[in-house]
Amino acid sequence: MITAGIDVGSLTSKAVIMKDGKILSSIILKSKPRPWESADLAINGVLEKTGLSMKDINCCVGTGYGRDKIPFIHQARSEIACHAKGARWLMPSARTVIDIGGQDCKVMKLDEKGEMVKFITNDKCASGTGRFLEVMAKAMGVELSELGELSARSKNPVTLASACTVWAQADVIQHLNEMIPIEDIAAGINNAMASRVATLVSSIGIEKEVCMTGGVAKNSGVVSSLEKTLGIRIKKIRRDDPQLAGAIGAANYAETLLNGGKI
Amino acid sequence: MNRFVEAVSTLENRYIKDWKSRGGRVVGYTCSYVPDEILHAAGLFPFRVRGFSAADTTIGDTYFGPFICSLPKCMLQLAGEGNFNFLDGIIITPGCDSMRRLDECWRKAGEDIEGIVPGFFFHFGVPHKFTDYTLKWFTEETKRLINALNSHFGADINNEQLSESIRLYNRTRVLLARFDSLRTRKDPPFTGIEALAVVLAGTALPKEIYNAMLEEYLAEMNDAPGIAGRSRIMLVGSANDDLELVRIIEGSGGLVAADNLCFGSRLYSDSVDENSEPVEALVTRYLSHNECPRMYGDYKNRLLSLKEKIESAAIDGVILQNIRFCDLHGSENGLFERDLEKEGIPCMRLEREYGPLVETGRMKMRIDAFLERLGRRVVAP
Repeated sequence: MITAGIDVGSLTSKAVIMKDGKILSSIILKSKPRPWESADLAINGVLEKTGLSMKDINCCVGTGYGRDKIPFIHQARSEIACHAKGARWLMPSARTVIDIGGQDCKVMKLDEKGEMVKFITNDKCASGTGRFLEVMAKAMGVELSELGELSARSKNPVTLASACTVWAQADVIQHLNEMIPIEDIAAGINNAMASRVATLVSSIGIEKEVCMTGGVAKNSGVVSSLEKTLGIRIKKIRRDDPQLAGAIGAANYAETLLNGGKI
Repeated sequence: MNRFVEAVSTLENRYIKDWKSRGGRVVGYTCSYVPDEILHAAGLFPFRVRGFSAADTTIGDTYFGPFICSLPKCMLQLAGEGNFNFLDGIIITPGCDSMRRLDECWRKAGEDIEGIVPGFFFHFGVPHKFTDYTLKWFTEETKRLINALNSHFGADINNEQLSESIRLYNRTRVLLARFDSLRTRKDPPFTGIEALAVVLAGTALPKEIYNAMLEEYLAEMNDAPGIAGRSRIMLVGSANDDLELVRIIEGSGGLVAADNLCFGSRLYSDSVDENSEPVEALVTRYLSHNECPRMYGDYKNRLLSLKEKIESAAIDGVILQNIRFCDLHGSENGLFERDLEKEGIPCMRLEREYGPLVETGRMKMRIDAFLERLGRRVVAP
């Protein structure tokens, strides 16, 4: 049984192909302006890696912001449900899932069976999302992937005056102009991000184990700052790339559909 | 149905134009705590002011500032653009602090923009508690309103007229209660969008016409086929007169089968006692009305009535929405969520802006996820 899951997000698109519950291949690429273009690129890219073609896929489920615009999927499912499902696959002991995506941040609570029982998302503001980090990295002239490593070397993190993305960016520029070490600015950015996310996590309540999915889960600076702010340990996902959680969840749902289940 | 939708899709609808063309006068009011029976008894057309159709809030932002509920800002925007110039009067209440500020902001805007302040401009104080002394105070305030209307419009509001208006308005409440029982049945004959249009129309039409339309509609709906197989949602929280918000929920497979909104079921949940002295009966009905969190110390009763409605309407999940910066509903929604979830009733909180519906993608994502959660919910036999 071969299934595919495709997650068309605002910043990146992800696709996975699974066979009998195991990942055959996966892909993460920058999203195009049109969701169907991203979906085509992602599915073709992931198929190419396996040597399979679309007709070999028994069922495909789509998720993410562009889910309703993907022509080749059998069913669409919200990214909240898919991230919860994918997180459970990545870490079966997870009960609280923090997902930081390109333009939103979600916290999901799972019951002992792995079913999502509660969720909360950020309100309409880019701070606390991947876009926040992207804007800050650009303002600093570093790669997004460098932020975690940079902040780990910080001795004296700055405090950003505002968690508003535009104002925080102005703050970052100000700190750069004042020759503040780049490591301290990076740490300040990650702390600001963590404090926004911590508010959401606290309001839904924490249950162990806690894990993080989404691209920001790969930023060790945000993860450690969040652990410190919340006084908890966030268990690192090792089974596969945490950024794939939505696509994995979608592929899991595709399997459920094939088995005659209702999703 | 089209007549209801038409009546609520424009501010100055054809019934108002017709009324005005015959020399009638229209008085707006901003809150469901205004006993509009009094306006009817004065021979005026009571019109519930909405912020519907405001395309932006540049005027509203100028006078209110940015960090305040967008409902009164949209109202002021429309006023500033001259969209309420058909009003001969306006009654503003301290429904909440944001709405109270509409009074001063509208007056201030009137100093800068000519012709937007109606000739009759009345601040109607409504206490936040229901006690013997607030009832006394509210009675005096109501009499002050009656005197002001008499004096400005040359009316002569008397007990006989008031009693007649009370009977007419109670008839509306009886009809809407029948409408509600259709709405909350297992297979309601209309959607939540249609339900909102029907209830809203009652705030924008002469009651005589509205009652006749409602009777006709109810007769049609009695034998209409029902809608089944959708997740039944109760919509709770801040004022909503936007059909589009309900459309998003229902477009994702939900059915808004009940609400507790002030442009919804709050309007008809209690009748006015027809056997008491009219002013006393009116003030008692309006001030004892506890469904808005503006009324202090009544959370437990509000929770109770919510739970009763959830049970009687067989609700699958509750959407607790609030307009950004709405302190009253924002905080009470948190309590509702805590207490309802504790009893196994799924809830989702949703913060939004009033006005042109934006960020619908994000809203739809949350609603989809909530409906997916409800779809999986195991209902005990």
